[in-house]
Amino acid sequence: MRSVAVATRRPADNPFASHRIDGLVFRFNGPGLTALHQRLEELGGRSAIVGPKGSGKTTLLDELTATLPGKPIQVRIGASDRNPWHTVRTQLPTSVIPDHAVFVDSAEQLGTIGWRLLLRATRHARSFVATLHRPGPLPTLIECRTDHALLRKLVEELLPEDWPVLAPGLEELFERHEGNIRSCFRELYDVYAGRATLSSSQGGL
Amino acid sequence: MTILTLQTTDGGSWFKPGELIEGRASWHFDGKVEAIEVRLFWYTSGKGTRDVEIVHVLRTDSPNTSGHRDFSIRVPDGPYSFSGKLITLAWAIELVALPEGETERLDLRIGPQPVEVDIR
Repeated sequence: MRSVAVATRRPADNPFASHRIDGLVFRFNGPGLTALHQRLEELGGRSAIVGPKGSGKTTLLDELTATLPGKPIQVRIGASDRNPWHTVRTQLPTSVIPDHAVFVDSAEQLGTIGWRLLLRATRHARSFVATLHRPGPLPTLIECRTDHALLRKLVEELLPEDWPVLAPGLEELFERHEGNIRSCFRELYDVYAGRATLSSSQGGL
Repeated sequence: MTILTLQTTDGGSWFKPGELIEGRASWHFDGKVEAIEVRLFWYTSGKGTRDVEIVHVLRTDSPNTSGHRDFSIRVPDGPYSFSGKLITLAWAIELVALPEGETERLDLRIGPQPVEVDIR
């Protein structure tokens, strides 16, 4: 186990600070955004981005929000939301019209009745895209997956050139966080803030 | 090519609560844009989810392809710019072209002193 050689002073200067993570773009492992637009159209404009936690679903949803035609309506359901349908209802306009493009993040938290209500409320929308952990009530637009190479690529992009790069430690980190890249970033934040060390049997930073 | 510039009148970036931030936003677009907005906002950055609050917006609909707008925005009472153990709270003013969302940003420091409050 070795400690990090570079420690940041201000939280905002940390390579893994939230504003830097939010600035990352979705990495397509295949056809890109234009192909996704086309597929959504083929699916009637209603579809789901499917993947486990920390696999880039929200990042991709944000990119679709910014690029799909129509007036975007973003709905975010919190992780500890006690009444997800109420959250959705308060973020949707009173009447969803054909000009609206509706994007619902963390829609897996809606129960059967919530889903039924959501599908009904958005039936006139130009497009409706939701993120889900598993295939469900909407046809799947894309399945998000992560792997060691993706984590490495993103870490290399986030780190300044002259900063030490995790070598063998990244694979262990990825496994420990079960492929949740956002969760990996949270641990890396602490490592580069000098508050934690990254365990690795083969060395580290 | 789009050119966006933002500057405060005296080139300063530190403002006390209650003071006026005065400056000029200038732009040049190759084609028409729907609107431009000058926004004063703060955001947090660090570990976890980012928080953002826009505290003032000056909107100009259907601006000319080249032009400028002088702005004057009063600084609210808070929050101050600070850095803690887990987050930094930072202020900025930005010029945004809509609907494309191209931006130019000017970082500011808000508080009674010209340095960010350190609460670690």
